[in-house]
Amino acid sequence: MVAVGRPRAFDEDEAVRAAVGLFGGRAYDGVSVDDLVNHLGVHRNSLYKTFGSKRGLYLIALRRHLADDVRPLLDALAGASDAAAALRLVTSADLGLLLLAAIERAPVDEEVASEVKAALAAVDRAIADALGVPADLAAALTSAALGILLRGNPDNAATALTRHLAPLT
Amino acid sequence: MALVRIEGDDLVVVIEGLNRLWAFKSSLTIPLANVRGATADPGITAEPKGIRAPGAHVPGVITAGTFHQDGEKVFWEVKDPSKAVVVELADEKYARLVLQVDDPRATVALVEKALA
Repeated sequence: MVAVGRPRAFDEDEAVRAAVGLFGGRAYDGVSVDDLVNHLGVHRNSLYKTFGSKRGLYLIALRRHLADDVRPLLDALAGASDAAAALRLVTSADLGLLLLAAIERAPVDEEVASEVKAALAAVDRAIADALGVPADLAAALTSAALGILLRGNPDNAATALTRHLAPLT
Repeated sequence: MALVRIEGDDLVVVIEGLNRLWAFKSSLTIPLANVRGATADPGITAEPKGIRAPGAHVPGVITAGTFHQDGEKVFWEVKDPSKAVVVELADEKYARLVLQVDDPRATVALVEKALA
């Protein structure tokens, strides 16, 4: 291994992954710099020097979440054979940070908003391609799946939805 | 206390009141291009600050002036830790500024918006 750039006293990759867990579990406002210092194994000064700010780290963590957790969902969706399978994949994916980002940060942070928008559009596209349905129907399925994920599949909503969708897909 | 505002392409920090005596500075002007971000960070005052020169450091009362730590210079102007904001810089004399502001959340939003 050849070290590139300035040496760091901590594992940046691991720190970012830990930040995904913290921000995804407690939201942006619920994580203090003290929390980051305590959980990431990073000194405060290194944290500022490496990421610039809490927001700087958050953006990197969000992109990491999209690459590590949302990207595999897109790959899995490509193999979905029907709407029920697509719903099952989305509702069982780890989308904690994406959902919190959509609710908490996207309205006040344009960069977060564009990452969230692009990620959800990619899910729509994956569903549209896999099921051969129009883009707007795919977006409706993504929206329903996220709602089911948030509500915890009330009264087997996923089953009811796919039963009525069957003739369409 | 510090007043933080944006003037054109600069971040301007004005130190208010008597603290300017201890801090040995009444204002700082930093090009926004050299500002990496701002973070509300009440916990930073509990950390070791390094060696002060020049400025005043009476633990529990006031931390003001230039502090040297790990080869970096950090500018401090904090009496009330709950209102501390950290402004990270690049290519400046100071690596970062630790400032007490009236409304940390508003100051962070102001700086981040100016950088966007």
